Amino acid sequence: MGFEPIKILYALGTIFIIFNVGMLIQGIVRKIGARVGKRYGIRFYQPYIDLIKNYVMRSNVTHGVMFYLGPVFRLTGGLGVFLFIPIIYGSQYFSNFAFAGDVVLVLYFIFFGSLGMALGAGEGGHPYSAIGVSRGLAQVTAAEIALVIAVIGVGIQYDTLSITEMVAAQQGGIANWTMVTNPLLTILAMLAFLGAMGRSPFDVVLAPQEIPIGPPTEYHSTFLGIMQTNRSIFPMAKTILFVNLFFGGATNWIVLILKIFIVYMWSVVVGVVFPRFRVDHSIRWWYKYALPLGIIAIIVTTLIAG
Amino acid sequence: MVSPIYIFIIALGIGFLLSLFDKAGRAVAMTIFYGALLAMAFISGQWLLHLLQGAEAEIITTAGFQPPFSINLKMGLLEAFFTFLINTLGFLAGIYLLPKFKSQKIYGMILFLMLIMGLNGLVMTGDMFNLFVFLEITSIATVSIIAIEKNLKSISAGFKYVIAGGIASAFYLIATIFLYRFTGVLNIAMMAETLNVASSQAVFLSVFILMIAVIVELKPFPANGWALDAYEAVDSGVVAVIASGTSAAMLFVFYKISPLLNNTLLLTAAGIGLATFTFSNLLALKQKNAKRLLGYSSIGQIGLIITAYALLVRAGYARNSEIVMLTTGGLFINHFLAKAGLFWLSGVVEKEKLEEWSTLRNNPILLFAFAVFVIALVGLPPFPGFFAKWQLVMTFANQGLFFWIGLILLGSFLEAIYLFRWLGKVLKSDLKAELKAKISQIFPILIYLLAILIGGGYLSRLINQGTSLSILYLPVLFIVFLFFIDFLPVAIKNTLVILVGSYYTYLIIPQLSGYRVMLGVIFLAGGVLLFIPGYFKRGKRTGFYPLAVMMYVGLAGLLISENTLQFFTSWELMTLGSYFLIIRGKKSEPHALSYMLFSIGGAFVMLFGFGILYYVNGNSMALSSLGNIESMAGIIYALLGIAFLTKMASIGLHIWLPGAYGEAEADVSPMLSAILSKAGMFGLLMLMAAIQTANLGSINLPYVLGWLGAITVFIGNLLAIYQEDAKRLLAYSSVGNLGYILFGLALMSHMGWLTSITYALNHFLFKALLFLAIGGVVYRVKTKNMYEMGGLIKKMPLSFVSVLIGIIALSGVPPLSGFAGKWLTYNAVLEKGWYLQGVIVIIGGLIAFLYCFRLIYAVFLGQLKDKHRQVKEAPVWFLIPQVILIGAIMLFSTYPAFILGPVGKMLNDILPENALIWENLDAYSIYGHWNGFLIMMITGGIFVIVFLWLYFLNRKAQKVKQFNIVYAAERPSRPELTHVGYNFFAHYKKALGSLSQPYVTKFWNTMADIFHSSAGFIRRIYTGDGQTYILHIIIFIVVVYFLTIGG
Amino acid sequence: MLLTIILGIILIVLGLWGMLSQKNIIKIIIGFSIMDTGIHLLILSIGYIKDRTAPIMNQAVQSAGQVIDPVPSALVLTAIVIGLAITALMLTYAVKLYEIKGSLEISDFKELKW
Repeated sequence: MGFEPIKILYALGTIFIIFNVGMLIQGIVRKIGARVGKRYGIRFYQPYIDLIKNYVMRSNVTHGVMFYLGPVFRLTGGLGVFLFIPIIYGSQYFSNFAFAGDVVLVLYFIFFGSLGMALGAGEGGHPYSAIGVSRGLAQVTAAEIALVIAVIGVGIQYDTLSITEMVAAQQGGIANWTMVTNPLLTILAMLAFLGAMGRSPFDVVLAPQEIPIGPPTEYHSTFLGIMQTNRSIFPMAKTILFVNLFFGGATNWIVLILKIFIVYMWSVVVGVVFPRFRVDHSIRWWYKYALPLGIIAIIVTTLIAG
Repeated sequence: MVSPIYIFIIALGIGFLLSLFDKAGRAVAMTIFYGALLAMAFISGQWLLHLLQGAEAEIITTAGFQPPFSINLKMGLLEAFFTFLINTLGFLAGIYLLPKFKSQKIYGMILFLMLIMGLNGLVMTGDMFNLFVFLEITSIATVSIIAIEKNLKSISAGFKYVIAGGIASAFYLIATIFLYRFTGVLNIAMMAETLNVASSQAVFLSVFILMIAVIVELKPFPANGWALDAYEAVDSGVVAVIASGTSAAMLFVFYKISPLLNNTLLLTAAGIGLATFTFSNLLALKQKNAKRLLGYSSIGQIGLIITAYALLVRAGYARNSEIVMLTTGGLFINHFLAKAGLFWLSGVVEKEKLEEWSTLRNNPILLFAFAVFVIALVGLPPFPGFFAKWQLVMTFANQGLFFWIGLILLGSFLEAIYLFRWLGKVLKSDLKAELKAKISQIFPILIYLLAILIGGGYLSRLINQGTSLSILYLPVLFIVFLFFIDFLPVAIKNTLVILVGSYYTYLIIPQLSGYRVMLGVIFLAGGVLLFIPGYFKRGKRTGFYPLAVMMYVGLAGLLISENTLQFFTSWELMTLGSYFLIIRGKKSEPHALSYMLFSIGGAFVMLFGFGILYYVNGNSMALSSLGNIESMAGIIYALLGIAFLTKMASIGLHIWLPGAYGEAEADVSPMLSAILSKAGMFGLLMLMAAIQTANLGSINLPYVLGWLGAITVFIGNLLAIYQEDAKRLLAYSSVGNLGYILFGLALMSHMGWLTSITYALNHFLFKALLFLAIGGVVYRVKTKNMYEMGGLIKKMPLSFVSVLIGIIALSGVPPLSGFAGKWLTYNAVLEKGWYLQGVIVIIGGLIAFLYCFRLIYAVFLGQLKDKHRQVKEAPVWFLIPQVILIGAIMLFSTYPAFILGPVGKMLNDILPENALIWENLDAYSIYGHWNGFLIMMITGGIFVIVFLWLYFLNRKAQKVKQFNIVYAAERPSRPELTHVGYNFFAHYKKALGSLSQPYVTKFWNTMADIFHSSAGFIRRIYTGDGQTYILHIIIFIVVVYFLTIGG
Repeated sequence: MLLTIILGIILIVLGLWGMLSQKNIIKIIIGFSIMDTGIHLLILSIGYIKDRTAPIMNQAVQSAGQVIDPVPSALVLTAIVIGLAITALMLTYAVKLYEIKGSLEISDFKELKW
């Protein structure tokens, strides 16, 4: 395992595929959301239209260097996380750049984009951006508690931190998936997934009602386009991580996309059913319920792992 | 050679003739008076020299008879030493009182001569009854001098003094006569030979009364109200003689009668001394009057000396053995010089309240003297008291007297509280008045200042055969040199310190091995680097350089220490230097105090630990013996651990840190946080390396430390997010980061230690960077509150970049170096199996994101304030080290193998399982892998591509004005209203509720309250009524008697 | 002579009692004097040997065996002188205290405390 130039081409290919998957899932999800709310909703390809519109628009306004770089950080973060995760088990080329690090790298690289984005939004000078970031960071760090515990749990169970080896340990049928071998940990992880996706009930960060659209308030046109690009890749990357850790990973693209869709739907279903938490409620919720659950899960996992 | 009898002849003769000479004019009388004092000092000095060279002691007997038929005066080595001290004190005190003698009646001078003569007599006489006579001469002379001053306080104090003295000498007389009855002699030495204390109840009682009478003269608690009043009210020049001279003579009397005492009585004396030491220092906590405070301190010190002497003699050391002389002698000299100096200073200041002594700041030399005396009293190096206390603790430990050590250290700690509080007030309180110091007053103070400095150096050579402290001599000389050139401008001194520091680094680093190299680089190379910002200061920066260098000398000393004495001395030097650095900040007085108290407390705990080590390991002071302790290992490690944790500000012991770091000067904070905090880490590393090899028994210290580290990470980081003050935010962040270091060490595995060292190195880099950058910002905008800043990225772009790099490295986000620490943490936690602690540590790390963002956002982003529109970039001297640090972070991030590889090899000596394997730039553990270089390249590559794409699409973007934002159809008018900075994480506080409460601070405040209110309660026994004081003496004697025969 | 020893001790205790119970400074000084006298009596009594005479060399005294122990007698002379000096000093203080405050109550001089 190491770097070969050809891997860049494969990486671009995987990005292309997953970008389209992301766009389509977004469209479909919004459609579902509308139907649940008894509305007709958008066309499923509407995200493509929005994206092209944003890229084409020219408003040529910037608040400064950091403001300009914010979306760059954001997309770099999204792409980075995606590329550090091995996508298809057994395929060296569709493991992308996973040779640079293991699950810990992914876990911490998630913050790269958020931090950069938050900084860019900060320079925009809009108070709503700052409020959004304050809420967003607070909630993300709280939600990460569950994620971190879940990842450590998997690490304990399989005695490794390498994602590839975690997936390898789950091969050979559904009975070997973490979902089956360690259900408690998976429950915890699925709660963490809700937090990571930023959907209701944990979507106060972008809260459309109280605050225009949270951190990206001042971003528009091309900037927004880049963020939308990220929004179709980053959640997919995180979903793939969960698929890899808890649902046996995937040995080919079809299985992968199917699993992505199913896991992603979990957050959608919860999102359309549950109302939004206020941010202090959500932080407390993570500390009060997810943390104890996580501790129990860790203890159980220790017993399982022997 | 002049016979010692001339001391008496001169004093008596001149004394009687002085009023005659006065007829010829005051100048004549005064010349003769000072001539007499000088002659007395000369005689004893001459004897001292001769006896030091091995001459025979001179014994003078009256009328040619031999004892017991005559009174004998002895001039041996000790007598010569004591009379020399007393006579020089007499001469200097005479000079100090010169203006008074000049203007008052001649009686003052006569009485003064009588007083000095009486003290000489007390020292030299070998006869029990003669001693009584001299006692009364001294007493009458003293009280008569007091009476010259015609103010109410002085007179009423004098009356209480004479009554109490009268009762004490009455008891002395009764005891003397009974002892004469039992032995038939009055010569003390002969009496000691023939007397068997245990022979009968009556003999015992007589000896007891004799001892107690002498002890009452030494002002034991609680029978000492009269002395306190005298210390408070009597003229400074006179009280200096009482506090130092009379105490010296009385201590010598105690020394002389001690052969009469049996073990029971020695124990009683020791107990009284200890109670006096502890309670005096406790009661002094509530004291606001400077001279009375000094009185409490004097009484306490005397108590300590009695305890030390009595216990050592009881333990079987010869009365004049080297150990006894080193300990009690060192303590005594320390007290003698410092207390006289301080009382003299009280006459210069002429102010009662402690904080009014800040007028000393008008005179740097007197201020220096004050600081030296106070520090000497606390018992810090390089002064005699330090070495004496060290030797005392070691010797006591050798005898297994741990209970006594504990109480002595407690008393010393109480003393440190009020003395350092005073020092802080003097250094920081408002300057209100002028200082009028006469040359006659300054001269004696300076002589004693010099004497105490020389005394410290001399004792440092005596102790432990004089070899062990040689490593510190040259550096300390450099510090002294820096004091001398302190009048030079900053630029010269800074350059000098950087050059010498670089050279010293070059000398020291190759001598180090193992993990010490790593810390050597941080301490010394880092230290030199952080002197660069010093160039931004104009003027002289009085006192900064010697003390800053003292801190670094201490740090370097820790690394090269081979025995506990070297280590402890270095530790204290470091503490002392850093205290003075911290207190330079504008509002840092209370914080410097709390830093000092925690440090001193920690140091005393460490001293206790070293003492037990000395006892257990057969009088070995070698640090290497830490690893093979045969018994009591758990308690030794725990004590040392607590000491190191204090410096590392672990939770529970951390409350000093935020204020100390936060209020320090711009270039001091990085030194403290980046470098000084690693001293605790070094100690702990050393300790853990020892624990690795030692048999700990049932105590699982690392496990406890692991939890402590984890909780420290969490609480430190959590409290950081609530700070409004940028530097305090960084300070709390340091608490958290030191928690990681502790946690890593506690893991006791190769991976854990690697984690710890990675964190240490990283913390050094990014915290120095952040503190420098923020320091530069604060320097420009003149506020530390983040919500008062904002939008500074446009004014200080370079500082912004520094902070950006700093927070990324801090938070552990790849691709920067912080990630290495996070990755190692996961691996180490999995390896060790400390999952729960690991989870807490990692959650703490997540919380760090919150304050990182707040720091950079509230300061640099958001809305620029109107008053900051003219602000410039930070001074270039701040930026230069920042650039170097950024370079180092980038290097470390890209090529971690170059640093962590060698570190791993260093650790192999202690923890051989090489947990991290490097293949070129790839790091492998049994769990996972990571490649810093590739991460950097990939991230950089993606970033550049995305940026180019954006730039291609949006290349014509124009900057808009500050308020050109979408704001609910309104245009905001004021940046203050638009910048969200205050109480940024209010929701987090609300969500976590009680977890965010400052329980630890409350706990320590309650502790302080308990001590102070009990002091306030107990000291009410000193009602001020002379009669109560008599009652105290009587009750004291009775109670002590029953305690003695009962116990 | 046991009787004088007891008497001496009684005087000492009496004197101490006076110092502790009397509020008037002069009376306290008198108490001190009584105590001092008691001590002197004690010293003398301890030196006394039954049926012997004063240690003054004259025709009546031929050998040391005829006189009492001379040392205590010598000591008591010194002690008396010193006691006198101390008492005088105390009285001086009493005068001064009275001059300044116009009172001789010891409890009136509590400016210094704690």
